[in-house]
Amino acid sequence: QTHFGFQTVTEEERREKINQVFESVAKKYDVMNDSMTLGIHRLWKDVLVRKMNPSPGTQLLDVAGGTGDIAFRFINYVRSVRERQLQRRLKHHQNLSWQEIAQSYQEDKSPLGGSQVVVCDINKEMLKVGKEKAQDLGYSEGLSWVLGNAEELPFDDDKFDVYTIAFGIRNVTRIDLALQEAYRVLKPGGRFLCLEFSQVSNPLLSRLYDLYSFQVIPVLGEVIAGDWKSYQYLVESIRRFPPQEELKAMIEDAGFFKVDYQNLNSGIVAIHSGFKL
Amino acid sequence: VVRWQLSPPQRPLQASAVLRRVSDEHKKEPLASSSQQQFDSHPADHQPGQEPQGPDPSYTGQGSQESEDYESEEQLQHRILTAALEFVPEHGWTAEAIAEGAKALGLSAAAAGMFQSDGSQLILHFLSQCNTKLSELLEQEQKLVQQGEAEKKPIDQFLRDAVEARLRMVIPYLERWPQALSILLMPHNIPSSLSLLSSMIDDILHYAGDQSTDINWYTRRAVLTGIYNTTELVMMQDSSPDFEDTWRFLENRIADAMKMGDTANQVQSTGEAIVQGLMGAAVTIKNLTGLNQRR
Repeated sequence: QTHFGFQTVTEEERREKINQVFESVAKKYDVMNDSMTLGIHRLWKDVLVRKMNPSPGTQLLDVAGGTGDIAFRFINYVRSVRERQLQRRLKHHQNLSWQEIAQSYQEDKSPLGGSQVVVCDINKEMLKVGKEKAQDLGYSEGLSWVLGNAEELPFDDDKFDVYTIAFGIRNVTRIDLALQEAYRVLKPGGRFLCLEFSQVSNPLLSRLYDLYSFQVIPVLGEVIAGDWKSYQYLVESIRRFPPQEELKAMIEDAGFFKVDYQNLNSGIVAIHSGFKL
Repeated sequence: VVRWQLSPPQRPLQASAVLRRVSDEHKKEPLASSSQQQFDSHPADHQPGQEPQGPDPSYTGQGSQESEDYESEEQLQHRILTAALEFVPEHGWTAEAIAEGAKALGLSAAAAGMFQSDGSQLILHFLSQCNTKLSELLEQEQKLVQQGEAEKKPIDQFLRDAVEARLRMVIPYLERWPQALSILLMPHNIPSSLSLLSSMIDDILHYAGDQSTDINWYTRRAVLTGIYNTTELVMMQDSSPDFEDTWRFLENRIADAMKMGDTANQVQSTGEAIVQGLMGAAVTIKNLTGLNQRR
């Protein structure tokens, strides 16, 4: 027995209902994100990638990454770091011998430096929207799309440098299993990053936030996407999700070390980070 | 206790996959295969490799198990930073150097996320390593003197050698040292860098035999800190062979400091003499003008 928003359902029912939710919101997912959070979700995702500070060559697994927001930001970040790296190398190439010039032609000058991001999502519709977006925006290199379940990832052990799950872990039925899978697929030294809605500590802000969540968001859902119930589920699931400290304890249980969290907007959103050591 | 029971049996084996290596390096004991044995041998594995922890961990269970892992986390961080020092000449004191250090230890580069992104922890780690090395060096010298195998150095020679030894440790990173100094001057780093600097100066003066308990304690440390800082700055733009100019500068500053001590005493005694002379002159004049007479 588990929960779906404020209802009590079985685990099977929950998975099915969540599947339906995302199938129906997939096409309007990004538009709704912008309107619900007034565009601030872009800043949250920027903070996540900046915190990750990926270097060229990083292998990223973005779970529940559906429409690819984190993946695209990751690629942009790595591209700019790589450009700076190549420029710095050029600066040293002032007085070169012929041999050194010949060597520099063989050097790896790829724009991503070997970085790769795998976007994994359980919902086909979300992946479809993501792939279309990637084509529109021109992202092709270093990007792959995989259909998979966070509770049972279709990857080998010790494969990835960073595992991110942005606004996805809330929809996982067995969070502990997802955390264990995250631990499994990460390389030693790898980092787990989770961006998710969390509990607001400030009581005044909490009241305003509740008001906004329950009065405004479902209405926006109905008006923009024609789907009141999905967005009702969204705000209810936020309330049902464990608060920061509890999630931190769960991450530690999965075996991660140096687990910490950073509140954004006084707890509306929190970034949890842990390392596989 | 509940937490440990709920976690899957593989946790002790997997969990400290990397941390285990710390104790493996200290002793090559074969790891127990079953998870139950793992629980009991885990504390034993860590024990000899680390400082004594007090009561037997198997009794205190979860608490000390956590503290052992916590200690290993710190140890792992130290190992990463030490490995990162190799890459400093190429990448500078940055998160990139730390990432390279992590890769050198077989960890993912993402482990560099454990540290601050401005590289300040790397510099502070390096500083405390240097200070530790200096203390050990000074202690060894002291032992030799106590055992009578070496002559006790005059104080200016001692100070000169100590500061030179400490500054020489910076030489391999000299190109990137100005960057390090500027990072250390940032407000959030000043408390730590200042405390490392003052403890190093304190060490040197302690081994030099300073037992003052008055204002001299402060003035000596202030003077030596000034000498150390200025010599460091001179060293950074010194291009003479083996930094001869720097060591000559150091010698002169220490000689100045010594003279200043003598001069202070002389000034005091001269001052006293002058005051007495003036008093005498005043009394004589009073006598001459008859002001001193009591009528």
